[in-house]
Amino acid sequence: MTKMRSDRLKIVFMLCLAFITTGGQHFESKVAQLLRDETEDIKCFVEVKDLTCFWEEEEERNNLHDQYTFTYSYENKNKMACVVSSLSLLASNKTVFYCKLPKTPFFTPLDVQVFRDGRMLYSRSLNAENFWFLDPPRNLTVMSSGKEGQLNVSWLPPLLKYIDDSMIYEVRYAVEGNNMGKVEVIKVSTMLVLLGLQPDTRYKVWVRVKPDGVAYTGYWSAWTEPVLGVTQPSDVDPLIMLLVLFIGLILCLLSMTVILSHHKFLLKKLWPDIPSPEHKFPGLFTVYKGDFKEWMSQNNSSMWGRSVHVYTEELPSPLEVLSEVSLTSHGTSQREERQAVEEDEEKESERSDSGLTDRWREPPQAHCLVEQLRALQENPESLSQSLLLQSHETYVTLNQNSQGDDERQVDDVFEETLPLQTLFTTAGTTSLNTSHSDLGSLQQSSGSGRLSSQSSFEYPNHTWPPKGPGYTYMAVADSGVSMDYSPMSSSRIAEPLGRHRMYTNDYKNEIFLHKWPLSGQHTQSGSESCMGPGW
Amino acid sequence: FFIKTVFLWLGGNQVSPLRPICDLRVLDHFVPEARDSEVIMVRSLCCRGGCGVMKSYFVPLTSVDFAVLEHIDVSHDAVEVQTGLSLLDKALSNAMKTVRNSPLANALDNNISNIHSLGQILHSLDLQVVVGLHFTSPHDSAPASTQTQEVSSLPELLQVHSSFLRGKVRLLLSAAPACQRQNS
Repeated sequence: MTKMRSDRLKIVFMLCLAFITTGGQHFESKVAQLLRDETEDIKCFVEVKDLTCFWEEEEERNNLHDQYTFTYSYENKNKMACVVSSLSLLASNKTVFYCKLPKTPFFTPLDVQVFRDGRMLYSRSLNAENFWFLDPPRNLTVMSSGKEGQLNVSWLPPLLKYIDDSMIYEVRYAVEGNNMGKVEVIKVSTMLVLLGLQPDTRYKVWVRVKPDGVAYTGYWSAWTEPVLGVTQPSDVDPLIMLLVLFIGLILCLLSMTVILSHHKFLLKKLWPDIPSPEHKFPGLFTVYKGDFKEWMSQNNSSMWGRSVHVYTEELPSPLEVLSEVSLTSHGTSQREERQAVEEDEEKESERSDSGLTDRWREPPQAHCLVEQLRALQENPESLSQSLLLQSHETYVTLNQNSQGDDERQVDDVFEETLPLQTLFTTAGTTSLNTSHSDLGSLQQSSGSGRLSSQSSFEYPNHTWPPKGPGYTYMAVADSGVSMDYSPMSSSRIAEPLGRHRMYTNDYKNEIFLHKWPLSGQHTQSGSESCMGPGW
Repeated sequence: FFIKTVFLWLGGNQVSPLRPICDLRVLDHFVPEARDSEVIMVRSLCCRGGCGVMKSYFVPLTSVDFAVLEHIDVSHDAVEVQTGLSLLDKALSNAMKTVRNSPLANALDNNISNIHSLGQILHSLDLQVVVGLHFTSPHDSAPASTQTQEVSSLPELLQVHSSFLRGKVRLLLSAAPACQRQNS
């Protein structure tokens, strides 16, 4: 019996020792921590149910706890003494004196004092419920939750009956080997699910506890020892992978079939054909190998009509030259000149056929006209220019007085080359008027009044041959600027243009109003060359 | 006032017991408001012992011994809590009359209304009064109803008020049998 009792006592003693040592370990660490962090002279904390207050030994003295006295009081009661103990901290090589109150009153101001040799050393007033310094949570466990990137963390709360519903916990977790971690705060509950973790990774987890601050306050407990947990590896369902691949394949096949079936359309859109005019020219490239001349020659009236039509559109003919009256003396001398010209030949034949004695002296300008016309036909681009040239220059009028008298005709011609200024000034108006009345035909009443710019449509002293008068006339298509006679001659005779221009403008306008079907070819001086106007 | 009368009538007749109010979050809301009064008092430069009229207040004792607490039927401390609340009610009302600072007066008024609510909560717990058992050690000679202390300033009064709510009132509510039955 005694042996059993002694054994039991031993067991109990060992358990108590174990409890004390564990408590002592925590106690020492708490003291060490508060020694660093707390600034008060008397540092106090509540571990389980009792308040412990300690103070640091003064450096000067080395005597242990024989001179220190610790007293406390509350609610106007008498002071009570507390037994002072000492503790040597191995880590910091310091010694502290502490006192553990046997019966700690909570929720009331507590006055504590430290005396040394009868003199008060330190004093402090505090509420015990505000200085909790709890032990770290026990039984921390970290387990995989079965879901990807999650860990289940759980622990046990402090063994305190009345404040277990006033706790707040802090969970710290980090990848193993990494110091940077995250912190989660949780109230009252003693388990937590960590989310958003990396799959197949080892994590370290720590937990600490503190009162929530409503009814009780205190210091953060120490961190628990880290506990390792491994997250589940990411599981990609093979079935899902197969399905994704299969669907992808089907989509590819569908797109391929669509592209192939509409490849022509797509090709047209992406690579459009260059349009070719081949269809407008049947046989040009296939038969004649691009030889346009040959192709043109082979194509007959249908094509010609088309081309003429085209020509008429593109190349407006500015002139129609018809030869009529054939002149005698001068005509022969100039026949040679005219032979190259189609119109001249026609005129000659007409003259010869008609048997007209009257010779029509074709002025050199007529030859130039014809040449210009030919040039124009061959080169339609210079149409506009040539039009102007012709219109400014080429007015050839048939002179009645030149019928039988070549010399006189010549004289007349030269007379006509007199500066038109005088002609205009003296009898210009009258002649103009007459010209109006006679539709552009002017009476050669006076020598001076003879206007070289006459265009005689009628020959009062001369009857037209029955075969039809051969007269040269010019129909100027572009009539606006065309009827400028005098500036040409005057410019050659070196007269200032300005005045003449004025006159010519007037003259031009009035003459032109009558819309000449014929335009007399103005015989101008031979000094004039077949050139464009000088201005 | 209407609610009060209803509660009193119900309590008096005991026809149908009130549903117990066990949620401590109500009290956890009153406690910070009690602390706010202390803070406002300090901010309003109402220095300790020099603000307004120096008046003595009789307030309950607030100390709690956990060692003793475990061995006592907490329901028996309901009388002490109810007495203490009534004492605080009177003291705060007297203090409010002397205070001219409107924020502090409003805070005190709030505290008084909270005390009334706590009374209702206690009543809902249907705590039976058993004579002879207290919060503190039975060795104390003073009866429960006379366990009071005297404070001479408003700061001390507010401190007692806060400690009382956080300590005895809260412990009583958390240990009430009606709430224990619900939890278990």
